Amino acid sequence: MTEDTKSSEVVDARGMYCPGPLMELIKTIQLKPVGTVLSVLSTDEGSVKDIPAWIQKVGQVHVGTEKKDGYWDVTVKKVK
Amino acid sequence: MDKISFVLASDEFEKLQAAAMMASVASVSGMEVNVFVTMAAMACFVRERVERKDFLRVGEVGRKVLEKKAPLYVDLLTQGKMMGTMKVFACSLALDLIEKPLSEMVPVFDDVVGVAAFLGIAEGGQVLFV
Repeated sequence: MTEDTKSSEVVDARGMYCPGPLMELIKTIQLKPVGTVLSVLSTDEGSVKDIPAWIQKVGQVHVGTEKKDGYWDVTVKKVK
Repeated sequence: MDKISFVLASDEFEKLQAAAMMASVASVSGMEVNVFVTMAAMACFVRERVERKDFLRVGEVGRKVLEKKAPLYVDLLTQGKMMGTMKVFACSLALDLIEKPLSEMVPVFDDVVGVAAFLGIAEGGQVLFV
C-alpha cells in the first residue's frame, strides 16, 4: 500500500452479523474528513461483497480486500 | 435519487427482518426509502410486544436471529432512518383495527397515513410488498 492508501482508522466489526459491518463503516466514515482511509475488519463473508458494492454506489474508493487469519480487511478511502 | 418503497403486511418475523434489512441498506446507500406498515405487520410494532420479544410467528431461522442476538427489524429500521432518508409510515386503518394509538407503538413512525397518501409517496419508484 502506498502512503495515501494506508489505513488511518480501523473499524473492528468482527463477530457482527450482516449488515452490521457495513453499518459500522457508515457510522464511522460520516465523521471522518475526506482523505481518511479506513479498514473494516469483518468475520461476515457477505459484508466482504456488500461493502465494496456500497462504496461503489456512494462514490467512495475501494482500496482493496485482504483475507487475514479468520477475517477480512476491507479498506476504503473517503474521497468526497 | 432512486426510490424504493416497502409495504410490510405480514406478521412473519423473518419477513419483517428481511424487509427491514433491505430497507435500511437501501437507505444508507443513498436511496429514498419509504416503509408502510399495515395489516398483520402492525401488531408486530406494538412496543410492549417488541420489548418482551413476544413475536407472533417465528420460524427456525427467526429463532436463530433471536438466539444470536442479531439486530431486530425495529433496530434495523431505526438505523436506516438515522443514517439515511428512510421514512416509516403507519397505516391508519391497521391502527384502528388493533385499537391502539401510535403512542403504544415502537417509536419508528414518522406519520400515520392512509393508502392513498402512501401511493402518492411511493409514486414513481419501485414498490416491494412483503
